[in-house]
Parts: sequence; structure tokens; C-alpha cells
Amino acid sequence: MNDNRNRSPSISPGAVVVAAIFLLVSVIGINWFTSFVPVVLPPQASAESKSVDDLFYVLVIIGGIVFFLIQGMLLISVIFFRAKSGDQSDGPTYHGNPLLEIVWTIIPAGVVVFLAVLSFNVWMQNTEPKATVNMIDGNEIKINVSGARYAWTHTYQTGRLDDNGEQIVINSGDKLHTYIGQNIELELRTQDVIHSYWVPAMRVKQDLLPGNPATGGRPTELRFTPVRVEDETYPAAYPIVCAELCGDGHGRMTGEVIVYADESHFLEQFYEPAIYAILNPPADPVLRGEILIQEYICNSCHTLDSLEWSSRTGPSLNGIADRAGERVPGQSAEEYLVQSIWNSQAFTVPGYTEQMAAFGPDQTDANAMNAEQLYAITAYLCTQGEQTDCDTENQTTAIPAAIKTSFGLDVDITFGQSAGEAGTTETADEG
Amino acid sequence: MATIAVPIGAQAEQPGAEAVRRPALSEYLRWSVDHKIIGVQYGISSFLFFLVGGAMAMAIRWELLTPALDLMVSGSAYNSLFTMHGTVMIFLFIIPMWAAFGNFVVPLQLGAKDMAFPWLNAFAFWLIPPAAIVVLMGYFVTPAEAGWTSYPPLSTLFSGDGQTLWALGAHLLGISSIMGSINFIVTILNMRPEGMTLWRMPLLCWAVLATSIIAVMATPFLAGALTLLLLDRVAGTTFFDATGGGDVLLWQNIFWFYSHPAVYIMVLPGMGVLSEVLSIHSRKPVFGYRMVGLSSMGIAFVGFTVWAHHMFTSLQPELRIPFMITTMIIAVPTGIKMFSWLGTIWGGKIRFTSAMLFALGFLSMFVIGGITGVMLAALPFDIHVHDTYFVVSHFHFVLFGGSVFAIYAALYHWFPKVTGRMMNERWGRIHFVFTYFGFLFTFFPMHIVGMLGMPRRVAVYDPAFTQWNQLIGISAFVLGFSSFIVVYNVIHSYFRGPVAGANPWRALTLEWATTSPPPVTNFIDDPIPYENPYGYGTEAATAYLDAVDETFRHGGLASSSH
Amino acid sequence: MTSISHGQKPKPRDQQAAALRLKNNRLGMNIFQASWIMAFFALIVVNWQLRYSYAQWPPMGVQPFELLLPSLATLALVSSTLLVQRGLVAFRGAQRSLFSLCWRLAMALGSVFMVLIAREFATVSQAALATQYGLTMRLMTGFHFVHALVILCLLLVVYRRAVAGAYHGGEAAGWAVEGAAKLWHFVTVAWVLFYVVLYWLR
Repeated sequence: MNDNRNRSPSISPGAVVVAAIFLLVSVIGINWFTSFVPVVLPPQASAESKSVDDLFYVLVIIGGIVFFLIQGMLLISVIFFRAKSGDQSDGPTYHGNPLLEIVWTIIPAGVVVFLAVLSFNVWMQNTEPKATVNMIDGNEIKINVSGARYAWTHTYQTGRLDDNGEQIVINSGDKLHTYIGQNIELELRTQDVIHSYWVPAMRVKQDLLPGNPATGGRPTELRFTPVRVEDETYPAAYPIVCAELCGDGHGRMTGEVIVYADESHFLEQFYEPAIYAILNPPADPVLRGEILIQEYICNSCHTLDSLEWSSRTGPSLNGIADRAGERVPGQSAEEYLVQSIWNSQAFTVPGYTEQMAAFGPDQTDANAMNAEQLYAITAYLCTQGEQTDCDTENQTTAIPAAIKTSFGLDVDITFGQSAGEAGTTETADEG
Repeated sequence: MATIAVPIGAQAEQPGAEAVRRPALSEYLRWSVDHKIIGVQYGISSFLFFLVGGAMAMAIRWELLTPALDLMVSGSAYNSLFTMHGTVMIFLFIIPMWAAFGNFVVPLQLGAKDMAFPWLNAFAFWLIPPAAIVVLMGYFVTPAEAGWTSYPPLSTLFSGDGQTLWALGAHLLGISSIMGSINFIVTILNMRPEGMTLWRMPLLCWAVLATSIIAVMATPFLAGALTLLLLDRVAGTTFFDATGGGDVLLWQNIFWFYSHPAVYIMVLPGMGVLSEVLSIHSRKPVFGYRMVGLSSMGIAFVGFTVWAHHMFTSLQPELRIPFMITTMIIAVPTGIKMFSWLGTIWGGKIRFTSAMLFALGFLSMFVIGGITGVMLAALPFDIHVHDTYFVVSHFHFVLFGGSVFAIYAALYHWFPKVTGRMMNERWGRIHFVFTYFGFLFTFFPMHIVGMLGMPRRVAVYDPAFTQWNQLIGISAFVLGFSSFIVVYNVIHSYFRGPVAGANPWRALTLEWATTSPPPVTNFIDDPIPYENPYGYGTEAATAYLDAVDETFRHGGLASSSH
Repeated sequence: MTSISHGQKPKPRDQQAAALRLKNNRLGMNIFQASWIMAFFALIVVNWQLRYSYAQWPPMGVQPFELLLPSLATLALVSSTLLVQRGLVAFRGAQRSLFSLCWRLAMALGSVFMVLIAREFATVSQAALATQYGLTMRLMTGFHFVHALVILCLLLVVYRRAVAGAYHGGEAAGWAVEGAAKLWHFVTVAWVLFYVVLYWLR
């Protein structure tokens, strides 16, 4: 081997041809890559999603250039610079090239500065405060999101008053209703661990942070504006996902954003009917209970086929009325049910852990449930079974009696008069 | 240079004919202060943990073949599974595995007889088995299920005793890591032979130095965080409980101040290995040696300023911008390394040994992890993919496509030095093909499911992603299978491989200027390093290598031993 | 450090090896100090971040800590560390009685420090303990106390062996004395940081 140090490795004409072909392939390849951008991302359902996707497009182009450059050089090296069989000699003694090193330091530095500026602009654009938020029927209202293991709860502070002069609060469960062009601003609070509210179609995500309930928690905010998606039929539904590990049912902690075509559809199909239902609750406690039980987070842990719940963290509620009378000796079915709800730690079904949240009359609690609501939900659960243990004949006295013996509380069942009560459950989030 | 240094001076006169003895297998089970024994102890135990963590990964992918819960009894069982997978792979596999190669190779490359503190070295290793028992024991009580990141309050108010054991075990492993790193820094700074300045040091030593600096500066933060977690769990304090004035983000800050640099603890030694393997097996000096060494330091220091990018969805919005910028800057020193490596093989005479294949595989896969790293740094895009499978894919491209490929490259490269026998090259190539494609098809599709809306750490998912997850699952099983090929190869080659000789790769670094395996004192006499650890292609280098060959022609492992 | 497990690894007898060992020990100690002080910095970060959970510091309704006793304790510790250093110089100069005097005084002052800090730890008001003001104070002083206790015990052991003549024969043999002194300096530096953060930065 001759001393050939300081000689640059010669590049054969073949390598130049391959490099040229490779350049061509990369250009085509990057084009091909970027054609996948709409395929690998969910629909662009918000104004923010468009700018985020444009940024992603730039990232894919630049990333694609780097990818093809490096893989290409690798491929050329592997093909052209492999030792011939039997060649035991060394390669050229070439220690480096300061100019080249400066170039491949400066150019990537320039590229990342460019990307940082671009990302900064997109970020500023997406977080710019909006002139109006949560406009409904000419008013700005507050929309709160509560995350609890393992369900989302959305509440609309409508600003309207019921017959008792209390504010009507719509609880839409795990669904956020909105319409195209509405600037949404959510205030998010968690009742237990950290959750993360993610709407993939909107490209927005925000963690919910535990704070001190005594000082109003630690609310975080999330803003986005739904836009029209081509070929979409409205109202359209987009999933909400929990993105931060929160425990057993993390994967099931989902919801939906329902987007209506415009404000009038939103009012007609969701907002006004919801207020009407709150102002005119059904007189039958069973029907009332069926509505109420879906406003709480019960579905996050329990299975109940009649409501299509399928969570397995807690015991199944299918046929609960058949078992309720036998669970705890000496307790009637009604007593067992009311105690299991208001005093959830009193008895743990064998095979399960003491995870159930506290539902109770404390109105500052996020899971607040007053005696009337407890009554209605118990009445509903009493219908879940073939030969129920409950005294369904004398429901209006049996359940209040159970509440009286269990908690020493008199319940005055006066449906119709206390209309609206049911709607004002989530008082913790009020003003 | 006119002076052709002959490595072993006086030894050249002694024929060195006596056969080299391999340590008996039982010596690996005992307390030993010999860095070579300790290195193998680290290596074997880490590899066993790799198999344990890998089995957990297989169970995870099995569960995810369908969108519903089926293999696991509950979401909690799944959560504890990936918690253990992450913990085992990070704390019990990758970090100690680099201690294995660092221990075996670094003193040899420096021509030293042992590490600076042999007793401390052994102690650091022997902390690992009890720590591992403590961590794994948690799995059989009420296992930790808050992920390896263990965010409170999930890990404080909502977890069982396994979480306490997890924190205790991680504490011990952190202490082990600090002690090992102090040892490396002192060894590298104080025990270089005459004539080997810092700028003539092999790049693996540079990488281990940078890694150890990160480990000693960052790991105490982990200790602080774990102390707080333990106090909150067992002593009733409220550092992370907002109702007592605590702050959940406190954990995220302190934890990531350690755990982001920990990513570089896991990948920088791999980069050092790559510089060695690429140069030696393409018979060409490392391109831009100084910049490669300095970029390790650059990564180490910038790595301390980026931690809050893990908190892009929880941090106050105005604090997110500076961390986006620092995170992007770290792409620059990484890019320098990538291009320098390409410059190294460019124009060389590449030998397609198994070690080289894995090194090239690293180059080809790690670049994807680098590109997605910059994408994740872009704050608006990160908001969308934060905590999704996109992130899972990204860090597996860095830690598997990077670290594990480098570990395999290092294994094929240094196995002859450790055991005196060559690995089987055919099985090595088969292993590479299965690993490369299994890896690619396991982790690349994860980018897409992540972007489409699948969060990480879920046992049940939107059925729309089923086919993607089945593709990922089947590829993962191929990848899992590939690790048995290397197990077979190692065992087979240990007993039946061809005898290696002192310097099978004709490499210039000092670990090859002694017998394979090296004697207990490593070198009979103080070795003289060649003027440039990567000065291939000169007459002087050839003469040096010939002198090494001549010296050890008769030494080495007798073909009958074992 | 030279226990030999197998083979014929020679004991580093010559002076060169001893000099290298001393150099290694010194560098190792410096790195350990630089490393482990980060654990104390981590707790300072804890204190600093938790302050922002409150509108004011100390929180509403909590009396600030008294300054007198902690300041006396700090003074005692700083004097103690200076005495340890003087003792080390005396030890190297073979002034055995001066060494003995300095280290006895230093250990006495160190004990004074520990008693005073233990009293501070024990007498945090209930009002303060209901907030992070008291909790972080206990965390930091407790964490420091454990280190101080262990290293004070080490000082005692090294002192007893030193006066018994275990470390004679040059700098390398006297490493134990030097190392113990350096650890005690570490305890002092860590405490001064905590003292400033806990009692002066409001």
C-alpha cells in the first residue's frame, strides 16, 4: 500500500451517474412521500389543523431530503466502496476536510433556525386570542371539561335561569357539541390524576393538571375553531382521546366532538332541546334516572347493556336489581343501591378494588348528586333485572325510606315542582 | 512519521508462546475486581434483562393484535406490563450494557491494567442484581402501573406498593450508574498512556467520557425526584399533591432533567462504537475526528437544556418556545456525527462483517429517529403527536435503531477480544436481516397510527387501527425471534468459533495489541499506542499492525481450550 | 483497592503507582462532589418551584423561621470545616498535636451544628408544616442531616485511626484524612447553599 495520505478518495464516473439517478429518485420520492400527508393525518376539522399540517408538510419535505441524502450516500458507499474479494489493503488516509465540516454544520444549523422560526409563527398564529369565544345565540358562555378516571364530562354554563332562579347547566356527558366557525375555548379541570384532552381531527391537545380544589383547581385552557371538511355530512363526529396515562381504563377514556353545520342547526338539534329537557324533566323517576345516570361518569367503569356501556374496571350493572338485595346481609336492595352510590367505599364487590369515586350531596364536589337525583338513579337501577329485588310497587316510599335509614335524610319527592334541579348538578364548575 | 512504534516493547523478545487461558465460567458468578470479568458480568446480566424486557414487548404486541382487551385481564395488567418493559429496557438493559462494553474495552484502549477504582467498579455492578430483584418483585405484589415515567399523582395517590419498590430499585440503579461513571471519567482522564493526548484518544473513550459526565451530573436529580416520590408515598408528605400545596409538574421537571439526558447516556456510547466499527471495517480514518469527539460533548451539554419538551402539553405556553429552540439545536451536533460517519466510509474499502452491517444499519435507522426528533421539536406539530405512537416510534428508532444496533455491532466487533473466538459470520448476516426488517416494519408504521390518532399506553384502541397493529405485531414477533439467532450464535461461537488471534480486524487501537482474551494484567508490558488510533492506510500503520501480528503470532487462545 | 481475585496481578508497590492512585482518588473525589451536589441542587429546585404554588413566601399565616439559631449553626459548621482544613495541613506537616486539637474542636463544632439543626427540624410549627414552607425545610435539612451524620462518623473513625498512626508515610498514605476532610467541606458547602435558600431568599 502506497502512502496516499491527504489524497481525496477518487469518485468514479459510475458514482456520479448513480448520484444523479438517486437525486432524481429522491425528488420523485419526496413528492410521493408528501402525497401521503392527507392519508396519514386525520381530517382537517379545525382552522388550526390546516396550519399544523402545512408545517408538517414542510417538515416532511426537509426530512425527506435528509433521509434520501443519507440513505443515498449510504447506498452508494455500500455499492461502490466495498472491498474486492481478496483485497486486504487499507483505504485512503483521508482525515477530513474542514470546509466540508463547516458546511455540514452551518447548513443544518440554518435549517433548524428556519424550522424554529416557522414553528414559532404557526404557534403564534394558532394561539392568537379570538375576538369572541363560545358564542351561542349571541352570548359568550363558558364551556367546562372535567376529566375523571375514565370519562370526560362537558358542561355548558348557559347563563339562562330556571324557575328557581338558578343557572341552567347543560351536561352533555362525553360529547362536546359545537358548530362550524364557533371559536371554542374550553376550561379543563381534572378530578383525580393528569389526563390529556386530545382531539386528533383538530390537532389540539392539552393536559389537565390536578390542583387544589379549595382554590378552584388548576384550570388549563384549550382553543380551536371547527371548519368545514369537504364531503363531510353534518353533524359530524370526531373522537376525543385521553393521551396521558391515567390508569386501568385509560384506553377507553374517549368522547366525541359533534360539529354541526351552522349555529341554527346547533341550536335546533342540541342546545334548545337540552334546555327544554332540563326545564321539563320526565315525571317518571325511572325515565329521569335513565337520563341522569348518563350525565355521571358511571359508564367509565361499569358495564350496562341497556345503555351500551362496556367498561370492566368496576362490576357489571347488568341485572343489578336481581343481586342488590343479597349483596350485604340485612340490607334491602334499595338500601344497598343508595349506599353503593353515595357511600361508595362502604362495600367493595369481591374481585374489585376500592376505586369508585365518591358521589354525594356535597355540591362543591365534581360528582355532586343530590337526594332527588339519587332517588331517580336508584329507581332506574331497580329496573335493571328480570325479577328485581326492589319494591317497585311502592317505589315512591321504599327508596326515600332507604335513604332515610342509610343517611338520616328526608327526601321530598316533588317532581315537576323542582324542575331544573336535575340540570344544576355540576355546580362545582359554576362561575 | 519515521518512528514505527512497536507495541509491546520487551514482549517482542519473549515469544509469548504460552496459551492464553479463558476465565472459567464460574469466575463470572463471583465477586471480581477485574474489569474484564466485570464487563462480561454486566454484559450477560444486561442481555438476560433484554430477553425479559423483550418477552414483555411480545406480550404487549400480542395484546394489541385486537382492539379489545383479550390477553390481559385488565387495563392495569397491561399498564404494569409496559411499565416494566420500559424500566427493564432502560435501567437494566441499555445503561448497564454500555457499562459492559465501557468496562471491557476502555481500560484496554487506554493501555491500562484496570479501571481507576476496581473495587468500586465491582460494587457498582453488584448493586444491579439486588436492585433488579427489588424492581421485579414489585411485579408480583401490586405492580407499578404508572409507566416508566411515573407521573404523580397516578404514581403517588393511585398506585400500589409495587410503585414504592420500583422507586427504591431505580434509586439503587442510579447510585450504581453514578459510581460507574465516576470510575470511567477518572480512568479516561488519568490513566491514558504516555503519548495519548485527549486528541489521540479512541472515539469510544470520548463517547464514554461524555456519557459519564452526563450521568454524574444528571443522575442525582433522579435521586432527588425518587426521594420525593418515596416520601410522598410512605411518609405522607405532599410535594406532588396540590391539596397540600404541592405541584405535579415538579416531578416532570426534575424527572426529565435527568431522563432527557439519560437518552444521551443510552445513545452516545453507541455513537462511539459506531466511530470505531465504521473506521476499522472500512479501513479508513474517522472523518473529522475532532468534530466527532467534540460533538459528543456538544450533545452532552445541549442535552441539559431541552428537558421541558417532554412537557409541551402541560407547560405554560410561553415557556414552550425556548425549549423548542434548544431541542432543534441538538440536531446540529447529531448531524455532524452522521455526516462524519458517511465521510468515513466514503471511498473506503468496506468489509461486510456482521459488525459493519449493524453499524450501517444504525446509520440507516438512526437518521429516521433524528428526523422525527426535529419534527417533534416543532411545537405545533408536537402538540398533535405528543403522547402518541409517533413518539413511541421516534424513541424506538433512537434506542433500538440506535442503541441496540450499536450494541449488536459492538458485540460482533469485540466478541473475539472477549472470548478469543470469532462469531459465526453467516449467522450474523441472517441475524442482521431479520433484525433490520423486523425492526423497520415494527416501528415505522407506528408513526402513522400515532398521527392518525392512537395514543400510547392503551390496551384498547379504535378498531380502525387494527390492521396497522397486526402488521406491527407480526413484525415485532419476527424481531423478537431474531434475538434467539444471536443467542445461538454467541453460545455456538464461544465453544466452536474459529480462534481469533490478537487482532482479527487489524485495528490500531490498543485493545487489539494484546492476546485474545487479554491476560489478567491486560498487557505484559506497557504498550505504546500508535500515533493516531485511526491512521489506516499509511506504511507506518501497516508496519505497526504487522508488528502486532508478529508479536502475538504464537500467543492467543489454544484451539483446544474449552 | 488492591484486593486480587485471581491471577498474579502485582500489587502497585512502586511510587509511581501510589502517585497515580492518589491522583485518581483526588479526581474521583472532585467528580463525586460535583456530582452529588446536584442532588442538593435538585432539592433547591424543589423549594424554588413549590414557592410558586403560593402567592407569598412564607405562605399566608406562617411565621418566617427564626434566623438566630440556624445562623449560629452555620457559623459553627463553617468554623468546623476551616479547622478540619487546618488540621489536614497540620497532619501533612506531622504536627500531630495540632492536628488532634483542630479535629477534636472541629468535630465538637460539627456536633453543635447537628444538634442545633436537629432542634430546628423538630420545632417547625404546625402552621408551617401544613404548607410547603415547612415541608421543604424538613426535606432539605433532613436530607442534609443524614449526610452530615454519616460524614461526621467517618471523620471520627478517620481521626481515631490517624492518631493511632494508621496513615503515616507520605501523602498517598494520608489520603483517608484528606478524603474525610474534603467530604466535610462538601457538607459545609451544601449546607451554606441550603442556609441561603431556606433562610435568606424570601
